Order: sequence, then C-alpha cells, then structure tokens
Amino acid sequence: MDSKSTSLDFAIIGHQESWQSITSFINGIRNASIEPLPVDKIKDVFGFMPPRDLFKITLKSKTGNEVNGVFIETFIDPDKLSARYLKTNISKVKKAISLASKLNAKLATLGGFTSIVLEGSRNEFKDISIKLTTGNTLTAGFILKGIEHACVQYDIRLEESNVLIIGATGDIGLACTHYLKQKVSTLLLNARNQRRLETLATSLRNEGVNVFCDTNLESLVPKADIIIAVASSKDILIGNTKNNVIICDAGYPKNLENRLLKKEDIILFHGGMGIINYGYTFSPNYKPFFYNYPVDNVAHGCVLEAVILAFEKKYENYSVGKGNITPEAISNIYQWALKHGVELAPFYNSKGLCKLFNTKV
Amino acid sequence: METLTNNFKSIEEFQVISDVFSQAITGELIGMSNFASLSGTIEDPFEKMEAIEHANGERQHAEGFMAYAKKTGLNININLNGSYWGRIRDVFLSYANKNDFIACLMIQEVMLEAFAVSMYTDVGRVLEDEAQKLFLSIAEEEKEHMDHSTEILRSELKKNPDDFIRKIEIIHYECMTILSEFSARTDLSGHCGVCHGDCMKNSLHHIGLDVVTMRGNALALYAEALDNIGIPGEKSVLWIANLPA
Ligand SMILES: NC(=O)c1ccc[n+]([C@@H]2O[C@H](COP(=O)([O-])OP(=O)(O)OC[C@H]3O[C@@H](n4cnc5c(N)ncnc54)[C@H](OP(=O)(O)O)[C@@H]3O)[C@@H](O)[C@H]2O)c1
Ligand SMILES: [Fe+2]
Repeated sequence: MDSKSTSLDFAIIGHQESWQSITSFINGIRNASIEPLPVDKIKDVFGFMPPRDLFKITLKSKTGNEVNGVFIETFIDPDKLSARYLKTNISKVKKAISLASKLNAKLATLGGFTSIVLEGSRNEFKDISIKLTTGNTLTAGFILKGIEHACVQYDIRLEESNVLIIGATGDIGLACTHYLKQKVSTLLLNARNQRRLETLATSLRNEGVNVFCDTNLESLVPKADIIIAVASSKDILIGNTKNNVIICDAGYPKNLENRLLKKEDIILFHGGMGIINYGYTFSPNYKPFFYNYPVDNVAHGCVLEAVILAFEKKYENYSVGKGNITPEAISNIYQWALKHGVELAPFYNSKGLCKLFNTKV
Repeated sequence: METLTNNFKSIEEFQVISDVFSQAITGELIGMSNFASLSGTIEDPFEKMEAIEHANGERQHAEGFMAYAKKTGLNININLNGSYWGRIRDVFLSYANKNDFIACLMIQEVMLEAFAVSMYTDVGRVLEDEAQKLFLSIAEEEKEHMDHSTEILRSELKKNPDDFIRKIEIIHYECMTILSEFSARTDLSGHCGVCHGDCMKNSLHHIGLDVVTMRGNALALYAEALDNIGIPGEKSVLWIANLPA
C-alpha cells in the first residue's frame, strides 16, 4: 500500500469529455442505497477536485509480457477547456504529473487536452524522474494507417489523392503532413493562424511538395478526396464535400461529425484509435463508466503509446514539443504496437461500427 | 447603529460578517474542547501537554475573533450544540472516550482543519485590513496543525495500511457526512443554530463569496490532506463521491 514500494510501468493522465461522463462515473461508484446526484451537484464537488488516481490497469502483450499502469483523472472541467482557464488547467496537469511521479510510474502519457503542458517549455519538469509523452506519435500512426487502410478498402490511390488536413500546424497535423507529403498528389492545409500556415506551406513547396493552404476551408474542401481533422474545435463547418470523401475525425471535441453524419455520401470514422488484442483489466473494474466505444478493447493512440513504450521498456520522452514527430518515429512505434498485439481499431463513428466500411475488401 | 455605519458598507454585509465570525468562534471553541478531550487520550506526557497547548491555541483564536467582533460591534451567536457542530462534537467524543488518539487526530486535525484552513483562507481573501490579517494568520497556524498530524498519520498508515484505511473510512463517513450536509448549498439537516435568521450561505455574495466555491475548495483541501497521509486516490474519490451533496 505504501505508494513508493510498488513501481508502475506507466500512468495515463486524462480528462473527461463531458460532465455527463463524470456524472455517470460518480453515480456509478455511489452506494446503490443512496440517491444518484444530479449533474450540478456533482459539478459543485468534482469541479474543484484535485487530480486523483482512479484505477489500475494491467495489459497483456502478444509476447506474453504484462505491464501495469494507473489512470489519473485530472478533473479538468470539460466545459472549461478554453484559453481563459488555461492557468487552472495547466496547474491541474502539473499536479497530475507530480502524482504520477509520487506513484512511482516510470512514464506518463498526457491524453487529450493535458498534452498542452508538453508543447511548451519543460524546464519545470527537469527535476522529476518520470518520463513524459504526449502520445501523439502513435495517435498520428493510427490516423495514417487508418487512411492507408481505407484507401485499400475503397480502392483509392493515395498517390493520386488530395488530402486535406484541418489543424495542419498542430503537433498531430504536422506529423500527418510530413508523413504524407511524398505520398499524395496534393496536400491541402488548413488552420486559423495564417502566418504559421504560410510558413509551413512555403517550406513544403521548397521541398517540392504540391501544397495549397487556406485559413478558409470553403476553398479546400471541394478539392479533397480525403480529410483528416485534427483541430480541437467543434465549430468547424464544412460543406461541398466530394462524393465518397473519406474523413478521419481524430480531434476532440469531435471536429466535424455532428454536422456531417447526416450526409449519406461520406465515409467518416473516428481516427487515432487502436485495439488491444490480448486483453486488459481495470482494478477496480470501472470499465463500464469509462468505456463507451461500440467495439471492445479499443483505446486512444495517445494512451496506447505509453503502453507500447512500457512493453518495449523504452522509458523515454517519446513525443514532446510541437512538430518533432518524424515518419520514422511513427513507423517504429506502429511496428512495436503490432509486435505486442495492438492494432488499428475497426472503423466506427458515433452511430456505431461502420459495417460496410470494415468488411468491404 | 453608529458602529455599524463606521465599519460596514451595508446591513447585509454586517449580518453576513457577524455570521461568519459566529461560525468561526463556535468552530474554534469546538476545536478547543476537542483538544482538551484529546489530551485525555494520550499516554505520552509531552504529547499530552502539547494537546493542551493546542487547546490553548484554539482558545486564543476564538479570543482573537471575539475581540475583533466586540470592537466592530458584530452580532455574535455562539452555539456548540447546534445540529452540525453538536453532532461533530459527539462523534469526536465517542472516540475520545475510547482513548482513540488516531481517530481524534483524524477528525480534529485533518477533517475539521481542512475545512477551517480552506474557509478561513477564502474569507481572509475577501475581507479587509485587520479582519483579513486575522483570518489569514489563523489559517496559517491551523495549517501547521494539519502538517504536524499528517506526519503522525502517515507513519500510522505504514504500520498496517489495510486496517488504517478501513478505520479512516469509517471516521470519514461519520464526520464528513456532517460537514458535507453543513456546507451544502442548502443545509441538509436543518438550520445550523448559529446563523441569525436564514443561513448566511444565501448572503455570502454580499462579501464576494459563494458557498459552492468555499465548499469545493474545502473538499479539495481535504482530498489533498488524504493524499498527503498516503490514502490512495482510488479510495478518497470513492469516499467523497459517497457523501451527501
Ligand atoms: N485520437 C487520439 O488518440 C488523440 C490523441 C491526442 C490528441 N487528439 C486530438 O487531436 C487534436 C490535435 O491535437 P494536437 O496535439 O495536434 O493539437 P495542437 O498542437 O494544439 O493543434 C491544433 C491544430 O488545430 C488548429 N485549429 C484549432 N482550431 C481550429 C479551427 N477552428 N479550425 C481550423 N484549425 C484549427 C490549430 O491551429 P490554429 O490555432 O492556427 O487554428 C492547430 O494547427 C486535438 O483535438 C486532440 O484532442 C486525439
Ligand atoms: Fe448557517
């Protein structure tokens, strides 16, 4: 029970996407004999809660090895992810990192919004022994393998396709850009900050890449055969898509889905996800409260990055900073994932499994 | 009325500050009584004397609040037997009567002090001048109590983690249920017997506070106090989730 005596291979630092999921967890762990609480009362308490380790996780590799980790909930308020609350949120992430270190985890991955603290200066973490990663390399890996897989299934030639990346100047967007730049016909890049976007486009053109960039999506969408959405905004509006456009929505909150799912002629899946083939357990078993995917054993790429690095015993700052993810690093971690029985997740979206998409050869 | 106009911006402010001081004084007197009872549970003569010294410290805090209240003409109501303070005292005494030093420490120095430190800090930040200094300096001293007992409780946990955690869980539900009802948006077990008229919770905005933030901060500090003792987060989240809200 002494926190220092047992060592953990990894820690996953995360936050919930909505108060609804926090509410279902809290009511789920409340004694059945007492009333469930309404969401506002849960906010009154858990909106203030410091980060906490909620459950342990054990995973098995294809090789037979086992790794042990812990999930740390930051209790970042899902309604307060905007820049206004940055200071409070960063302080919660830092507390979560200290907790991971106190629990003796060798490596921590910073899921979802929490990765923000690794994109800036890391001076404040230089005194702690725990290694940190954003998990963005394996996330990018699953996004890109998803696109390649979709191309095979739909008989689309990637090298003849125009690929639109929404959020191209972000860490994952840049990773996708550099991986795809020699593999596609044209790159169509979008983000809001024009200067950063232009700088990126110019450097790509200097490398001979065929590239268009625009802060306005309207001019790019009609040209795109494939769309990768890796921005952190649900306000993105796209219309005039090509028929049978393939869309990988990997951002949170889901960037495009809410508005697009009604359209029949698009193929949209949640990207950046992997599937664990050799099983895992949560202790206590809080899986029902935290698991809401239409298929079993699915997890985010950023979470799985820590798991794979632990299986490989590579306790290092694998993905840090912004724009540092190389195609080699993506290929390496993807190969290690396969070695341990972690593969690309089947395609699904909020309607459920994309049946046609998964079975079509 | 003269003192009122001199010291307070409005009658509402006067009333809510009166209630804040009434709660603080009552709480300090509960703490004083608890430490005095605690000294009875202790074998070690030096620790015994220290408990009395702590009781005296709480007495001085109560006196400090009382002196300020008198000077500024606040309307103070002290009631150690109200529906929350009285029950807290009963829980404490049930352990003091069994000479259970660890349980007493947990109730007084962790649970009650977490609420005191956090709420005094919040109040201190919005009050001005002497009242501000008073609340913040007392919060600081109470924090030292918390740190001191954390050391003791941490080594107690190491001796037998499972038994210790089981014991703290029982005390948590006995004591924190009362504090949780007391600090909820509306009193969950009726009037506190300290506030004048309606509960001050509805009037805290007159001094720039609100009960949700104060309670949230207090529970957060309590959670951190449990972390510092070495209670796994997995347990504390469960315990806090199961409190009335
Ligand atoms: N599936 C997974 O496992 C997984 C794992 C990690 C992260 N993610 C998600 O992936 C997304 C990207 O992560 P990241 O670390 O790369 O983030 P990031 O570095 O902050 O990049 C975000 C990018 O989106 C752009 N952007 C933001 N709002 C936009 C808008 N309204 N329209 C167009 N572009 C916009 C930003 O540029 P401007 O500010 O100039 O617009 C930037 O290029 C996040 O939503 C994250 O939650 C998913
Ligand atoms: Fe009251």
